[in-house]
Amino acid sequence: MVAAAERIWLGELLNAFAFIGAGGHHAGRDFFGGYCCFNDVAIAIERLREVHGLRRVAILDTDAHHGDGTRDIYRDDPTVLHICLCGSDYVSADGTKVDVAVYRRCFEAGARSDEVYLEAAEAACAKRVPDFRPDLLVWYFGFDGHRGDYGDLGLTATCYNGIVRLVLDLAGQVCGGRLLVVLGGGSRADLASSLIPPIIACLADAAG
Amino acid sequence: MTRRTGIFYHPSYSQRSYLTVGRRLAAFPGALKELLALPHVLVFEPEPVLDELILKVHTPDLIRAVAQDPL
Repeated sequence: MVAAAERIWLGELLNAFAFIGAGGHHAGRDFFGGYCCFNDVAIAIERLREVHGLRRVAILDTDAHHGDGTRDIYRDDPTVLHICLCGSDYVSADGTKVDVAVYRRCFEAGARSDEVYLEAAEAACAKRVPDFRPDLLVWYFGFDGHRGDYGDLGLTATCYNGIVRLVLDLAGQVCGGRLLVVLGGGSRADLASSLIPPIIACLADAAG
Repeated sequence: MTRRTGIFYHPSYSQRSYLTVGRRLAAFPGALKELLALPHVLVFEPEPVLDELILKVHTPDLIRAVAQDPL
């Protein structure tokens, strides 16, 4: 993760996809769990800040579960925009910490859950991310919300392919295309094999 | 800026990935075969970071607890 962020920041890469061996977004400053040990995204951010002068970063977390560790680390840090699609609605006073309740909306939407989830992601990011003017955009991508996985929200590849287009477009608008996609939750090997390559293909198309 | 895409992957991820959920990445990197043939798609194998960097984010107690956890 750190190496991926650095190579993007230094201009050696336009974008990157980082596989993981353990999760990161449930690891806070002094707690860990949910299959997460260390907060990989936060460690990468601190490296870029300290060594390379990163000022502002935006994180879109679409793992099925709340990124409580990332929120804990950056709760009082206005230079990190953290938008998390999860089970409750919340906006911090300074507008840099945002939770969007999608569980009920997806359950009620049934077969339209892809559409509803993608609309929620687009609405959450459309103004906030450009207004925030991040130097780097991070998409924390979990596929645990896919139909039949452990965080089932009824989502399919249609949704994830829509989100990758969303974050590519946002990164192009606000930070010269600098986009880091980080793998989060999801348990099924068949889903990993069918969902991840098309996402990387979209990154490659944007860079090619 | 170089218009390249990076893939950061370590073989250990396909052996025991995401702790308890097993080998969800068992098909990788083979599943990326077509993408890896593209000249502007590069694969990198990540290396461990120093504890000093982790301590910018986490407490010493957390590092000790992770080391002691049976996972």
